[in-house]
Amino acid sequence: MIEQFAEGAMLSFRFDTISMIVIGLFSGMVVGALPGFTTLMAMAILLPLSFFLDPLVGIPFLLGVYKGGIFGGSIPAILVSMPGTGAAVATSIDGYKLTQKGQSRKALDMALFASVIGDSFSDIFTILMIFPIALLVMQFGPPELFAVLLMSLVIIVATSSRNALKGLIMVLFGLWLAQIGTDPIGGVERFTFGAFELKSGIPLLPMLIGVFALPELVYAVMRSQRAGGFAKLVGARLSRAEFWRCLPTIRRSTLIGTAIGIVPGLGQVVAAMMGYSAAKNASSHPETFGEGEVEGVAAAEAANNAVNGPTLVPLLTLGIPGDNVTAILLGAFVAQGLRPGPQLFEEQGAIVFGILVAMVLANLLFVVIGYLSIPLFSRIVTVKTGLLVPIVIMFAFAGAYVFRSDATDVLMLVLFGLFGLLARAAKFEVMPMVMGFILGAPLEYSFGQTVAMAGTEPLKFLLSERLGMFLVLVATPIVGFYLWRRMRAATA
Amino acid sequence: MGHRTVKVLGKITAETWLTALFLALGALGTIFMGQLVAEPKVLFGRSLTAIPPSLFPSLVLGALAALAALRMYQIRSAFFSTLPEVAGPSALGRVVMLFAVMFFYAFTMNSLGFLISSALSMAAVSWIAGNRSVVQICLVSLFSPIALYLISTRGLAVALPELSAIEFFYARVFDW
Repeated sequence: MIEQFAEGAMLSFRFDTISMIVIGLFSGMVVGALPGFTTLMAMAILLPLSFFLDPLVGIPFLLGVYKGGIFGGSIPAILVSMPGTGAAVATSIDGYKLTQKGQSRKALDMALFASVIGDSFSDIFTILMIFPIALLVMQFGPPELFAVLLMSLVIIVATSSRNALKGLIMVLFGLWLAQIGTDPIGGVERFTFGAFELKSGIPLLPMLIGVFALPELVYAVMRSQRAGGFAKLVGARLSRAEFWRCLPTIRRSTLIGTAIGIVPGLGQVVAAMMGYSAAKNASSHPETFGEGEVEGVAAAEAANNAVNGPTLVPLLTLGIPGDNVTAILLGAFVAQGLRPGPQLFEEQGAIVFGILVAMVLANLLFVVIGYLSIPLFSRIVTVKTGLLVPIVIMFAFAGAYVFRSDATDVLMLVLFGLFGLLARAAKFEVMPMVMGFILGAPLEYSFGQTVAMAGTEPLKFLLSERLGMFLVLVATPIVGFYLWRRMRAATA
Repeated sequence: MGHRTVKVLGKITAETWLTALFLALGALGTIFMGQLVAEPKVLFGRSLTAIPPSLFPSLVLGALAALAALRMYQIRSAFFSTLPEVAGPSALGRVVMLFAVMFFYAFTMNSLGFLISSALSMAAVSWIAGNRSVVQICLVSLFSPIALYLISTRGLAVALPELSAIEFFYARVFDW
């Protein structure tokens, strides 16, 4: 492991990797700073670009977009009380009050430092945790894998949907979409209706861009918004004393965010709200929260950024994306020929560790870039939607086309965009559908293998050799449901 | 279709439409499974796989139909919207126009080429998004497709669909 880590670290210190991380951070901050545009949309649009780069360049580039976007979302949240991302809602509570008090510069500095500290700690935690977990996962056979995949879907339904029944329906729809094309076990055609274009199945990329990016763009057009001209960066910078005062809060929020990041489906919004609530409860002056308390900004930003690293643990070890951002990252890994799962560490351990080291490297670069460019990004908040939406749509269409050079993919993009919009209007979450689609093939494959292993005595097989699997299968979602309800009650 | 029917259909909520769609998909898929999934491959009279290719889809579509039916039952008293529309007619009109432009873009990308289809679509989207400055619309819709086309084809060596005449022009300008 140490050899793989050292090799990966050496591989990540390349000029092209560092350059693309910088470009990614910059792009992420630009998009995050635009009200109505989200990090997720930026990642979906820029995903195809990563396919044409080396894995150690393309994936760190996307991670840069992710990190930059999360921080970028806090800029309009603080300056004009319009969170660029859901994760920045908690930041806007005290951040905007600080702006109204003429201390926007201080709020943005705090957001930057808290983000970087939270993110760096969680990345280091991820590096330390990922290899032991991968070793454990390597012992898994088809029944265990089937159980874990099923369990992941249950957790996603429980955490990402307000209504579990609607979440289940979307998971099943995603599983059905995954069955279109050629059967992974027997190689026969299913649900293709004789169309040649459907023989290889539905491509992941147009689906991701379609359901995640296009509805956002449509909503941006419907609002046709332009942020007010209030985005002024004023006041003193953050003092050293203020930073040290906030450090215990940053530490607490980082731990909360890291723990939440491990659980699939919870994500930054929950982490930020929990970090904020915990800071308020622990404070000796809780009445100042909500009135322009710099500690409130620190709490929310450290927590939402600390989610970033641990969400990669289930993705890299099991191939299970914990949220919509990691679903996009999975697309990048697969397109690069890297199939996440325990075998990835055996086959491409150095590259995996290289990517993880690049994440830490991105945080170091982030401090410098963020500190120097905050004044620039604060101006982006006022850019017109009418200028940006057509450019982003062009990127989306070109991106959907280039991977397979197939015009059908562009049509799929629009159809999935339409579906995403309808789902949003009907208050159906699309994340369970995407998860069902991604996990559909491995779930069916492991199900088939499990049935083959059980032979003619399935009950005896399950009760004797695989009892542990059933305990995991049944117990974990129940515990997950319980924890999720407690978290919701805490953040309500 | 009468005016009254259109009015009634317009009041059906998005959730009702989508749930009904899932119910129809699940039910029809389960009923017509035999026609939608090919027969498994057989060697010497025995199937080559442990599970037939229609087993997993049958489980999934059957469960989808059952859950969608359950949801329809749950929302039976709220099939129709009693609230005023959240998005006004002008916003809805913009959504319809936007999707019309996107379908146009998707269908013409191959036949008109990336540059022309992008320029036309971007100009339309920019106008729908509220931009009324002709100069800005022209600048954005003319120069950004060219920039992206050159970056993709010359910088990243990625193919984008283009008319032969334009390809030849670029080849002459850039690859002399």
